[in-house]
Amino acid sequence: MAQIELSDIRKAFTVRERPEGRWGLLKGAFARHARTVRALDGVSFSIGEGALVGLIGPNGAGKSTTVKIMSGILTPDSGACVIDGRVPWKERVAHVAGIGVVFGQRSQLWWDVPVSDSFSLLRDIYTIPKARYRARLEELTEALEAGSLLTTPARQLSLGQRMRCELIAALLHSPKLLFLDEPTIGLDAVSKLALRGFLKEENRRSGVTILLTTHDMDDVEALCPRVMVIGRGQLLYDGTLGGLKRRYARRDGQDIDEVIAAMYEDLAL
Amino acid sequence: MNKTAKAYISLFKIRVAESFQYRMAAFSGVLTSLVWAFVDVVAFTAFFRYGDRAKFAGGLTLEQTISHIWVRELLLFLQPFSIDDELLLKINNGDMGLEMCRPLDLYWHWFARSSARCIVMFVMRCLICFAVGFIIPGGYGARSPVSPGAFWLFVPSACCAFWLSSAYGMLVTAVRANIAWGDGPMYFMLLIGQVLSGGYLPLQLWPNFLQPFLLLQPFAGLTDIPARLYIGSMPLSEAWLGMGVQLFWSAAFILLGKRILSCRLRTIAAQGG
Repeated sequence: MAQIELSDIRKAFTVRERPEGRWGLLKGAFARHARTVRALDGVSFSIGEGALVGLIGPNGAGKSTTVKIMSGILTPDSGACVIDGRVPWKERVAHVAGIGVVFGQRSQLWWDVPVSDSFSLLRDIYTIPKARYRARLEELTEALEAGSLLTTPARQLSLGQRMRCELIAALLHSPKLLFLDEPTIGLDAVSKLALRGFLKEENRRSGVTILLTTHDMDDVEALCPRVMVIGRGQLLYDGTLGGLKRRYARRDGQDIDEVIAAMYEDLAL
Repeated sequence: MNKTAKAYISLFKIRVAESFQYRMAAFSGVLTSLVWAFVDVVAFTAFFRYGDRAKFAGGLTLEQTISHIWVRELLLFLQPFSIDDELLLKINNGDMGLEMCRPLDLYWHWFARSSARCIVMFVMRCLICFAVGFIIPGGYGARSPVSPGAFWLFVPSACCAFWLSSAYGMLVTAVRANIAWGDGPMYFMLLIGQVLSGGYLPLQLWPNFLQPFLLLQPFAGLTDIPARLYIGSMPLSEAWLGMGVQLFWSAAFILLGKRILSCRLRTIAAQGG
């Protein structure tokens, strides 16, 4: 059985809008009309254990919403989602004990204390045995060359350094499933390459399932044998990146970003 | 259960470690406390000396009132001045979502964090200010408890107050987590707590007909009940009543806070990206 199973997941948000025009501000104070945005409109897929999957799509397509539902933060309006035999939002605590998350634009490190303090806190939160924690920390810091960062407060790390520490934080408890939401956003070329190399190696060595959302097609090309495209709240493509190129490339040797742009255009996203 | 407790203690420790870094803030805090205490002591001395004693039928003597002021400074960390700034930030920018990716009950997770913040204020502001109070001469300074028995009942009552204060702080945080409501209800709740805790005016100096209400309302437990035991204006035989009131309201705030927070989590939108 697949590790992740989503079927017909739907989620809508209500956006309250202010009327336009000169008196809009005043009118809006009394009567606001609500608009429903369908962030996810029937998404189904399944992912097997040890897979490395890229989730792409334009801004506002529903990628992050999908990830948030799978990590137990959001409750969908309808549809089923089973991960490792659990429904994330119903058995949240048991579910999140087995997953790791990195949201590229947010931090899970404590801002003012040395990074290693954050790590020991995570050790206690996830109840990792001391010996295993030490071994795992050593393994991860070595792979990410983060040994010298451990005594630095998180606020004094550069973005690239911080992202490496975020990854360590997400992997300390050896989760079976790792969600990465735009992990390479804002990183320089060297950091990006290092991050990709690490993720690939970690996936090969520990068999962790990795699902990442990104706008960087090079991430996908370098990492993900399987690509899913989400747009307008629906799953529009599920297959290899090569297949996607074949379907949407307008000429040979076209740059991957151009192919994706052509695809978004074709699908009227 | 034991393992979970360890996680909460760890959370508590890291929050304390984090807050201890701000030494200048601590220094100015002590100074503020001392100035407030000084102003209050002088004002009450003037009232007691020159006021009309016949109309001034409050149940406290000047010595007790001054002592109450210093105990208030000692317990200032229990006053609901604000909610945890880090949690407020997380509520506003949507990082609350990340907090839900931890295998902990969010209510107790945040309870540990926000109460840890108070401990830092206790050590770095209240204790120092209280110690300085002791060297102030001329009957204006802090005094020891009226009896050893008073001291030994004051300590558990102060612990109950800590529990009560954390529970109320979490209730306000849970209400604030409904971002659509904005800051208004939060400030309102905080201000009511401050006034009714006896932090501005000892509750026993309020009008007589209000006294039964003032003792039984939830906020007396924040400052006034432990202070009454300390200064001897509550018979030690009634300490059980005081602590009962404190524990009752703590339990009520915890139940209500948990309820509001879990309602909020069900409809969470995790705004922003």
